[in-house]
This record gives sequence, C-alpha cells and structure tokens, in this order.
Amino acid sequence: MPQVFAQMREALSHAGPPLWSPPMVRFENVGMRYGPGPEVLRDVTFALEAGSFTFLTGPSGAGKTTLLKLMYLGEPPSRGLITLFGHDLATAKRAQFPAIRRRIGVVFQDFRLLPHLTAYENVALPLRITGIAEGDYKQDVEELLAWVGLGGRMKALPATLSGGEQQRVAIARAVVGRPDLLIADEPTGNVDPDIGDRLIRLFAELNRLGTTVLIATHDRALLERVKAREMRLVDGRLVELGMANR
Amino acid sequence: MSRARASKGRIVPREAGAAPLDIVIGIMAFLAALALGASLLAERASLSWQAGLADRLTVQILPPERGSAAPMLDAETEAVLAILRRTDGIAYAAPVSREESLALVKPWLGADALVAELPLPRLIDAKIIPGMSVNVPQLARELKAAAPHSLLDDHSHWAGRLKGLADGVRYSAYAILLLIAVATTATVSFATRAGLEAHHDIVELLHQMGATAGFIARAFERHYFVSTVLASLVGAIVAAALFLAAGGLEFAGFEAVPFLPPLSLNANELVWLAAVPAVSGLIAWATARLSVLAALRRIY
Repeated sequence: MPQVFAQMREALSHAGPPLWSPPMVRFENVGMRYGPGPEVLRDVTFALEAGSFTFLTGPSGAGKTTLLKLMYLGEPPSRGLITLFGHDLATAKRAQFPAIRRRIGVVFQDFRLLPHLTAYENVALPLRITGIAEGDYKQDVEELLAWVGLGGRMKALPATLSGGEQQRVAIARAVVGRPDLLIADEPTGNVDPDIGDRLIRLFAELNRLGTTVLIATHDRALLERVKAREMRLVDGRLVELGMANR
Repeated sequence: MSRARASKGRIVPREAGAAPLDIVIGIMAFLAALALGASLLAERASLSWQAGLADRLTVQILPPERGSAAPMLDAETEAVLAILRRTDGIAYAAPVSREESLALVKPWLGADALVAELPLPRLIDAKIIPGMSVNVPQLARELKAAAPHSLLDDHSHWAGRLKGLADGVRYSAYAILLLIAVATTATVSFATRAGLEAHHDIVELLHQMGATAGFIARAFERHYFVSTVLASLVGAIVAAALFLAAGGLEFAGFEAVPFLPPLSLNANELVWLAAVPAVSGLIAWATARLSVLAALRRIY
C-alpha cells in the first residue's frame, strides 16, 4: 500500500466519528438530453452515502457515462436536482466549482492523459493544480506509480505505453489527490486479471480510508470481488438497486 | 526520452506546426522594428535640420548690376558687420571668405577661371546666442538702411520647408508603424487563438480536475508570451543588425545620400527596438488570457 494512504489511515485512526454525515451525492429526478435529442437519463434518483462503494452497471448506451459526467460536473443536467458534498449544483456559485471538482477523482474511459507529459507528470498534474510543490509530492507519486506496476515507466510518454498501462496511469492520477469521491468509468477494461485485482484492491483500500467510490463497469466478475451496492441503468432509467457480491 | 525531458513542467505543449507561425511573427516583428527605426531616424532628421538652421542668420550683399562692385561690397559688408555686432542676441558675425563662397558654388558651376571672375555676392554668417531671439524684421530694416544691397535671410522659409518634409517622413513612418503594429497584433492574436483551439482538450481536462480559471489562463499566457517574445526578438535583432550594418557602411565611407542624416541608429534609439518583442509578448499574453477565460466561461 502506498505510503500516502498509510498516512491517511494513521490520520483517520485519531479522528472521531463524524457528527453528521449527509449523502455525499444525491440525484433527484435528474433528466439529461443532448440538444434536441431524446433523454438519455430519465428521472434518475439515488444517493451515495459518504464512504460507500457502488457499482454502476448496465448495457452499452444505457447512460452510465452520462450519469458519471453529471456527477463529476462535466455537464449540467437538463432537469432535476444534483447535490454534491452538500452543495446544490443548481444554486452553487461557479467560483465554488473548482473546489468541488478537486474533491472528485475521475478515471475516464478514454483515459485523457496529456500526450506530451510523462506518466509521472500526468499523475502529478492534480497536485500541481492545487499548488503543491514537487518536493512535497514526488515520493507519493513515485510510490503510487510503483503500486500500479509502473515503477519502471515513470518517464514514459503515454504513446509508448500499452492501453492497460495508460489506464493505470489514469487511475493513479485519479487517486493521487486522495479524493473524497472516486468515479471510474470501466477502470479495468484494458488490464489483465492480476492487475485488475490489484486495482480493485486499491479502490477498496481507498474506500476503507473514507473515499466514496462509484465504478461503472460491464465486468460482472469485478462485482464478485468487492462487496458493494449495485445500481443498474437500463435505457436511461435506474431500475435496480441492491447489493452486488451476494 | 529527450522529448520527455524537454517538456517537463510544461502543461501546454509546443504545438506541431508552430514554426511557420513563429516565422510569421518574427517577420512582422522585423518589419515593425524597421518601421520604428525609420520613424526614429525621421524624427532625428527633423530635429537636426531645424536645430542646424534655427540659430543662424545669413546676410547677402548683392553686387550692383553695373559698375565696380568691390568698393561698394566692401563698404556695405563693413556696415552690416557693424550693425550685427552691436545687435543684442548675436553671438558673432563674420564674412564668408571668397574662397569659401567659391567652394559653395563649386558643385553647380565648377572651379574654372571664368567662375572665379563672377561677381559673387558677399555672405556674412551670424550666429544667435542660444536661448535668445533677434527681431529679424527690424534688423532687416536697419541693414537695408545702412546697406541697400543687403538681404537678410533667417532661413525660416527653408527651415519651414525642411520641417514639412521631415514631418511628412516622420508621420509616414508612424503610419507604417501603426499599420504593421495592427498586422502584428492580428497575427499574434490569430496564432494564439489557433494554438488554443488545438489545446481545447487540455483546457477541458484541467478545468475538470478543478484547476481555477487563473491557473489555466496562466499556463497558456506564459506559453504564448514566451514563444511570441522569442520569435519577435529574433525579428527585432535582425532589424537592429541591419541598422548597425548601415552605420558600419557609413563609417567605412559609404554615404547613402548627401546631407541626409545617417541611416544608423544610436544606442539609445536601438533600445527602443526592444519595445517590439515586449509589446508583441504583451499582445500574446493578453490574447491568451482573454481567450482562455472566454473558453472557460463557455464550459460548465
């Protein structure tokens, strides 16, 4: 386990229980359409409690990526109410959005690595954005890259990495800032089972340390590895709620 | 991994195909520096022409149309000199020797024996004390009374025409400078916007990660400021080298046009050329900042 998470665990062991813990994410009757097209999400209502681990499943085109996009403030909903960390996004000031976004780590399905930056620089990007000096994060970034099996590829550019390696860089970038909410879109889609296991353990460890995790996946096998709630989207509607790994 | 090392720390990469734009910016900066240098030369020429004539008076004593000229010319020269030397504000007054007068007409009439026999007017050169003025019309009347063949010339007519010429050159240079500045602004602005379009995905990703508008704008404005300053610095340096080369040619004895001021810029004037990359960089900086902030306003 990277030292960065061990430090978090140490800090949490001294903290008392929270006095009040509202849902970290709340969707109420959320609808979404792109332009004049049909609604890709319809009346979606759910809440993610702080510290929860949830899988979002459903067939391709069901609206999983759109739901994640609304959650990480990639798009505003066409209708409905979204509350993140207690902020109603419809009434929150735009100046608050950067701080909200920094509390969210996102693993994009297409990775979105910057092609001119090395693996190390890509992972360090969220920390640079927050103004942390390199001396303060270098060790954390290197440990995290080693943990995802890329200790020897830190200086590699994304174009020289395989799809699985790029995915691991994207995951390391999403978690390096110790986000309160981790959103991952098919995070194990391009990696072999061993690495997939390791990544799921990473997500689970982060979750144990308090990070709320939401993973969109097609991979039913993934659901067997972690005891977590499952939300299923079909044709833009949230039709099934329950516990995976039953 | 040299490419990786080269890009370390640069959130905004140097875009592929940037070289032609850098060349265009460099050429525009070169032209702007030339126009700026030309306007500085024109201004210096205007000032030096006016300064050279402003404190001088020349009195001509024309030879009579018939009869012996020498006694009359001698008498009137003495009378004019006497008046000039007692006039307030005149630093000195001295007759121009016949040899000097012949040298003055030599470019037009030659130097053969016939010319030496021509009845040339006597010339008296007077210099006004710096900062003082002389009542020219009154002085002319006094001179006319004492020396009927005298003509006082304070060069105002010639100086006025020279000033008009110099001002024309100067304002033309300013107009060219303005046009090139507008073209340079448009070029730098276009190059910056094109680069930003190419990097829209970076803007979106940084925005998504929670970077503030100020952070994203700084990343881009620094990138375009540096690349524009470097490109326009090369253009300005080439222009400065040209002006220095012109100075070198004049030093070596190649006079461009007689009586026109030298085409080389002095050290103080060369410093002004540094304004070209500085202003270009500021334009790029402002364009990048405003474009990024506008793009971010369009994103959720």
